[in-house]
Amino acid sequence: MLIDTAQASAQQTADAPAVRVEGVSKSFAGSVALEPISMRIERGEFLTLLGPSGCGKTTLLNLIAGFLEADQGELYIHDKPVTRVPPYQREIGIVFQNYALFPHMSVARNVGYGLRTRGVPKAEAERRVREALALVKLEDFADRRPRQLSGGQQQRVALARALVIRPRVLLLDEPFSALDRNLRAAMQVELREIQTSLGLTTVFVTHDQGEALSMSDRIAVMSRATIRQIGTPSEIYDHPQNHFVASFVGDANMFRATLLEAEGSDARLKLGETEARITSFQTDLPAPGPVTLFVRPEHCHLAEPGTPGTIPATVALSVYQGSHTELHVDCPLAEGGRAMLRVPSRTSVAPGEPLAIGLAESGAAVFGAED
Amino acid sequence: MTKRPFLGWFASPSILIAFGITASVLAIVQYSLRAHVPGSIDPGGFTLANFATLWHVAYGLVFLNSLLLCIWTALFALLIGYPLAYAMVRARSLSLRSAILLISLTPLFLGEIVRTYSWMIVLGNRGFLNSVLLQTGLIERPINLMFTMSGVVIALVHFTLPIVVVMLAAALSHIDRNLERAATSLGAGRIRVFLTVTLPLSIPGVVAATSTAFAWTFSAFATPQMIGGGQVQTISTMVYQVGFASFNFPLAASLSLMGLLFAVAVLAIFNTGMRQLERHGAH
Ligand SMILES: Nc1ncnc2c1ncn2[C@@H]1O[C@H](COP(=O)(O)OP(=O)(O)OP(=O)(O)O)[C@@H](O)[C@H]1O
Ligand SMILES: [Mg+2]
Repeated sequence: MLIDTAQASAQQTADAPAVRVEGVSKSFAGSVALEPISMRIERGEFLTLLGPSGCGKTTLLNLIAGFLEADQGELYIHDKPVTRVPPYQREIGIVFQNYALFPHMSVARNVGYGLRTRGVPKAEAERRVREALALVKLEDFADRRPRQLSGGQQQRVALARALVIRPRVLLLDEPFSALDRNLRAAMQVELREIQTSLGLTTVFVTHDQGEALSMSDRIAVMSRATIRQIGTPSEIYDHPQNHFVASFVGDANMFRATLLEAEGSDARLKLGETEARITSFQTDLPAPGPVTLFVRPEHCHLAEPGTPGTIPATVALSVYQGSHTELHVDCPLAEGGRAMLRVPSRTSVAPGEPLAIGLAESGAAVFGAED
Repeated sequence: MTKRPFLGWFASPSILIAFGITASVLAIVQYSLRAHVPGSIDPGGFTLANFATLWHVAYGLVFLNSLLLCIWTALFALLIGYPLAYAMVRARSLSLRSAILLISLTPLFLGEIVRTYSWMIVLGNRGFLNSVLLQTGLIERPINLMFTMSGVVIALVHFTLPIVVVMLAAALSHIDRNLERAATSLGAGRIRVFLTVTLPLSIPGVVAATSTAFAWTFSAFATPQMIGGGQVQTISTMVYQVGFASFNFPLAASLSLMGLLFAVAVLAIFNTGMRQLERHGAH
């Protein structure tokens, strides 16, 4: 009955976003866990919530799931307001970090739980459980208890259990953080394959930027209870909109500079003793004054010390990485006094050697103080 | 192997206690095998006659009565204690949790005699309970509670409630909330979540609490003695009667011993039964 109405309304509004969040906020006993947030999650999209610990990722997920009640704002799933719909009627699949498998049930009973609550006939339920277990390659483990499985297998059971109910949205809260590196990589690929093949709308929480970049259609970078930027992985990596996103995702060099003048995306900056011209990827630049110049290491190169428009530094440490060498340099203009650039491995530089950091013509940005 | 330097120190008191208990049990075993010399406190020679004496319907009924008392008490303590423990673990407000804990623990702070006297005042024919019921017109004649099984059960439920609540609360608080959330997200309403997740996972706590309530009731003496007033015979009151009214220590000793074995056997059967149920019930 529930499923029928869900499907009927799904057809009516086939182009509506899977999830729409409108001004939803949440505080706990006066401390703000989530500022008012608005966003859309499209059908079949894999959206990652990325951010440091305590920024409100789980809170947002729990609001979508219905485990928490929003202080204000409205939440829509398939264009129907669900803010006051209890979690057991939201048709949402959830995978928890600690798997949360029912320890007193076999794998098959775990996976079939959501079908039993929906009164799916026994034969059909058994078939769907088998299919779900096949999807996560655990057909042979149906009769085991969760504690008789490895961490990765338990994770896959949890995934199968969430998928078997054909949820409208799949939510995963740091699902792989308890797995070791190799297993983690394998599970990432597996989840992405399953998600794409089912066209499943997915919200994935992680604080691992590598995981976010490699898996997502879009990433919402969060900090301090708000979303700081939302975009495709390459938008987030190549065109961060603020200081936080730029430094949280990927390696970043940040230099203290003064913006002298700006015209469109072109900026003239004072960098210590020298002046430099850059073309920012930003469309609007901050007002002239003290700013932070952001450049990724791949947009920096080694230059002759003293070249105009370059930034002086001295080598502190060179780290051989096979394909390239990472040069960590002491640089008075850099935030934290350190910058990093990647040079071909055959370049030989000794610690203490003075050098200069040259900037590529593109790939840089300037952030004002409030960013 | 890690060194645990204080293990010996910490274990020594328990060794002392174990020694004391073993010694007293051995003393009782020894007494139970001696003949009763009427008119004398000192026992006679070795014999099995005491156990033969116990092989009698009258004693069998006392055992049965004790068992019934334990079952009723454990059952009601569980029925009242479970919701209390659940509320205590799940209540959002700290003051409500503390209040429940404090109220359910009060019986522990009252001595056994004080507690039992209080119940006598409440349960008597002109006691608090009957007065209130009569006054409100709910009953026309006082209900007999003193000197009845029901009265004893009421007082014993009060006595065992603290331990039942505490043990159930411990078990409930160890259940991962995410399990209930997972069940909810899979479409289970509150009642279904409780019946399929919370309750089954709290069974070990239920077993432990029931066993303890059972053992406490089995060994209770003052309550059945004073509230039962000789009308409700249990193994404990029987031991007292045989030992200190008839001064037949050997028979009292063998009665104690059989009582102990009986309690152990009942608990063993109960635990095995529950474990079977757990294994096959929810699989
Ligand atoms: N039930 C709660 N009661 C009080 N404060 C809470 C509660 N849940 C979360 N918070 C607070 O809200 C903020 C956001 O928490 P949240 O769990 O959403 O963070 P998170 O981004 O998921 O972090 P992590 O990566 O560590 O899981 C934190 O400051 C946290 O202390
Ligand atoms: Mg979290």
